Amino acid sequence: MSDLSPMRVVTALIAIAALIALPFLASGATLDIANQILLATIGAIALMLLTGFAGQISLGHAGLLAAGAFTAGILAQEIAAPFWIGIPAAALTGALLGVIFGLPSLRLRGIYLAVSTLALHFLVVYVGGEYETRRGFSTGILIDPPVVFGFEFWDPVAWYPVLLFVAVIVWLLARNLLRSRTGRAWAAIHDTEPVAAALGINVARTKLWAFVISSAITAMAGALFAYYRGFVSIEAFSLFVTIQYVAMIIIGGMGSLLGAVLGAAFVTVLPHAIEAASALLPSSGGLAGSIFAMNYAAFGLIMIAFLVFEPGGLVGILRRIGGKRGTR
Amino acid sequence: MQLVANIIVLSAIYALISCGYVLIYRVSRVLNLAHGELMMVGAYLLLMTASFTSNPMVAIPVAAVLSLTMGALVYLLLMRRMTGESVLAAILTTIALGILLRGLIVIFFSAAHQYPAVPLGIHSSSVQVLPGARISSLSLILVVVTALVYASLFAFLRLSRWGLRMQAAGQNPLLAAQRGINLHAIYAMVWAISMFTGSVAGMLISLDAGLDQTLIMIGLKAFPAALVGGLDSLLGALIGSLIVAAAEVLLIQYVNPLLADVVPFLILIVMLVVRPWGLFGTREALDRV
Amino acid sequence: MISRTIALAAAAGLLGTAAGAQDAYRIGLSGALTGPVAGSYAPAIEGLQLYINRLNDNGGINGHPVELIVLDDSGEPSRGATNSRRLLGQEDVVLMINASLSSTYAPMMADARRAGVPLLFASSACPAEVYPPAEPLLFCTTAFAARYDSQATLDFIEAQAGTDISLGLSAMAIPLSRGEIEAAEGLAAERGMRPQSPTIVPPPTADYTPFATTISQAGADWVYSWAPWVTEVRTFEALRRLGWEGDYIAWAHLEAEGELARLQDPKFYAIGANSLFAEDLPVHQEIRDAAEAAGATYAPDQMAEGWIAGLAIEAALQSAGWPADAEAVNAAMENLNVDTQGLRGGPIEWTAENHFRATQYYRVYRWNADEGDIDVVQDWAAYTVE
Repeated sequence: MSDLSPMRVVTALIAIAALIALPFLASGATLDIANQILLATIGAIALMLLTGFAGQISLGHAGLLAAGAFTAGILAQEIAAPFWIGIPAAALTGALLGVIFGLPSLRLRGIYLAVSTLALHFLVVYVGGEYETRRGFSTGILIDPPVVFGFEFWDPVAWYPVLLFVAVIVWLLARNLLRSRTGRAWAAIHDTEPVAAALGINVARTKLWAFVISSAITAMAGALFAYYRGFVSIEAFSLFVTIQYVAMIIIGGMGSLLGAVLGAAFVTVLPHAIEAASALLPSSGGLAGSIFAMNYAAFGLIMIAFLVFEPGGLVGILRRIGGKRGTR
Repeated sequence: MQLVANIIVLSAIYALISCGYVLIYRVSRVLNLAHGELMMVGAYLLLMTASFTSNPMVAIPVAAVLSLTMGALVYLLLMRRMTGESVLAAILTTIALGILLRGLIVIFFSAAHQYPAVPLGIHSSSVQVLPGARISSLSLILVVVTALVYASLFAFLRLSRWGLRMQAAGQNPLLAAQRGINLHAIYAMVWAISMFTGSVAGMLISLDAGLDQTLIMIGLKAFPAALVGGLDSLLGALIGSLIVAAAEVLLIQYVNPLLADVVPFLILIVMLVVRPWGLFGTREALDRV
Repeated sequence: MISRTIALAAAAGLLGTAAGAQDAYRIGLSGALTGPVAGSYAPAIEGLQLYINRLNDNGGINGHPVELIVLDDSGEPSRGATNSRRLLGQEDVVLMINASLSSTYAPMMADARRAGVPLLFASSACPAEVYPPAEPLLFCTTAFAARYDSQATLDFIEAQAGTDISLGLSAMAIPLSRGEIEAAEGLAAERGMRPQSPTIVPPPTADYTPFATTISQAGADWVYSWAPWVTEVRTFEALRRLGWEGDYIAWAHLEAEGELARLQDPKFYAIGANSLFAEDLPVHQEIRDAAEAAGATYAPDQMAEGWIAGLAIEAALQSAGWPADAEAVNAAMENLNVDTQGLRGGPIEWTAENHFRATQYYRVYRWNADEGDIDVVQDWAAYTVE
């Protein structure tokens, strides 16, 4: 981690320059995708902490995002709460849910843990759906964009620096956390729980912490999503969203924060890239139905190819390239 | 009486689907989340064979054999490469396979609602099964098929040489391999059987109700039934299906039809709190991550 | 033959975009082309594409072609939101079209309002905002209409069987369908009918028999269902298999024409606002020809909604003139009379207050077993929309 080879510094500087220059160069729609990547990055880092580092499988990620988004949405709708109440409230809701999501982990592992978090996902979605139906928001809850000193955050250009800032903070937070005692305890329970317990680590507390921290960040990402999009709707948090986040951390590379970022970018951009590529094909004059089915299938195919041929993820590829150049 | 018939039909549907999840998990410890899609593919295979012949006695067996082959191919071409990867990566691979299959189905068959029963000239009629209880003739066939499938699976696993090898591979793959059992052949066979049973379920459902992408969701609804029973027990899948179906039918009748959607998951949560490894599952399965 | 047509169309399309990017009307659609609900929307989207292609082949509108950008949202709100931002921010469309689930409405409506671009709902359920007093910018051509549909259905049932009946009600567990059927329960009670409490079916359901059992055991004489087609028809089939012999009336979605012929049940009524292709009007033949020439994926008799949207779009752009920005298109749409050429019972009229239509027309169909075709049981009945 700490080796500051010139290669790394140069790469990092180029990346930072590109991130700063982006809003001046890109169109609104491209920047919208960039913002989605940043939102996904926050969520993916949270899931990476839980699964990639603490070793706890969760299929409740979309449920937690939904919980955060709904907290922000309901507060905005019922008591007209501004974003600076909505976002911390969402994080708090996330932390509380983290305890509940985490409780099964004290008894369960592996697939059964995954399924219990999945069941909780359905409960969150059910409650959110009931709220929407009861209050008559059948097409979703609209949230006004946040206003700071009279400036309205609606445009992707305005959101970009905000989301970039939050993503960087979350990244730094995660990095420091992993270097702390908590991070080492996570690594220990990830490997073998009995050994960790023998080393004097409180396994139950460590696990719950992992769920609480991860869930709080996730719920905050959900609230940011709600403010950015200007709406909350339970259909936006289907099981497919969970699948996308799991795909992000696996395709990015398990047990690596950089992997979470790369995976978030890859999974978010892939459908757009496929769409752009298929628009270049000569068959694009045909009717749209089959083209989009083709894009959909291609998404599955590329994911399979990645899982089969590159089990180390994008980080694995980077390391190999780096290795060839002798910078490792 | 009608309620009893409804419970039996619904649990037969769930049981026929959920045995696919159980077989693969029991033998290879992989959770196959593409089972709903594979089941749908089986039904579309029938739609395809039905466009060549209007004789159901030809179309259905051909489609069944094709699905058996395809199941083995899924393992040999794809899942075989995932051996040794993490559980999560294997699950994700099955999900990615599901996404691929959904796209391919729309490309080849379109998203329209279609009826394989029409070219085959099959009409579902109403049958009196018990005093005061009627079900459709296809539902009756489905119940009989489910019973046959389970009976032959039990016999196969307990009595035949390949069945015993399958059991051995599931319990201790390393030891089984040392004893000279070809694990890849076993796994390919279990994927083939699993896709076959799923496809039969898909075909029977689509003959009755028509066919489109919503069939996948029905495949997923049977998943809690498998979990309630215990993911590595066939008997558990059968009992779990019965419990989930009974709860669903009774709640629809006496409480609120809206609950039908959440019931399986509520039962599942209760089960996870009380007996996390399922009714008939083995406790040891919990520790395999 | 088909492949050659597609190749030609592709070539024409490429040339069209290359030459006409500057002087084309740009409109954009976000719809469910993949995903579990695609079957209800994709045929209409295809119909609209066929209409626009034909329009361009005939020289476009006011001498300018129409460029229709189609994006897929799989029925997911997040993708709908991405699509609408792209259509507004990158493609600079003057009109947006939604052909997807109601969960995609919120983000698209919010973006349309902010950008001042009109949004047309075509084949997707008309939101409350398009009825009088209509909100600016939102318009709808879709056939079905909350409240009016149930009113017309109950009028028909009353004309057939009087009010001394027990009425079963079936809905799908989505807000739209639930809301309508619960309203129908109240309307039926007001007329003196005996409505049962609605049977609400969750979307993925393996077996409809348990739901049908509750309806049948409550002794329904008539059953009314207003839901996606799956729920309507499978509840009916499950009822018949239970030995129930009553009358059943359901909303005629795009699948209705093929399904009436498949079911062949003289007591299954389909009430709808579109004319069926069995009538064989000139416009029906046009749609069939266009579908055949393009090698379309879906059956022509499922494309009427897309074709009607095409008629409305053509009329709006025609009246907006050239060059037309979003404001001009919106102004044109607020004062428009669309000739539906017999696809509906009458024209679609939009005013500043009414973005749905001034008059809604209903017909009731059923299968005639003796003649082996579809009968009109009740011809166009007009309802004024206020």
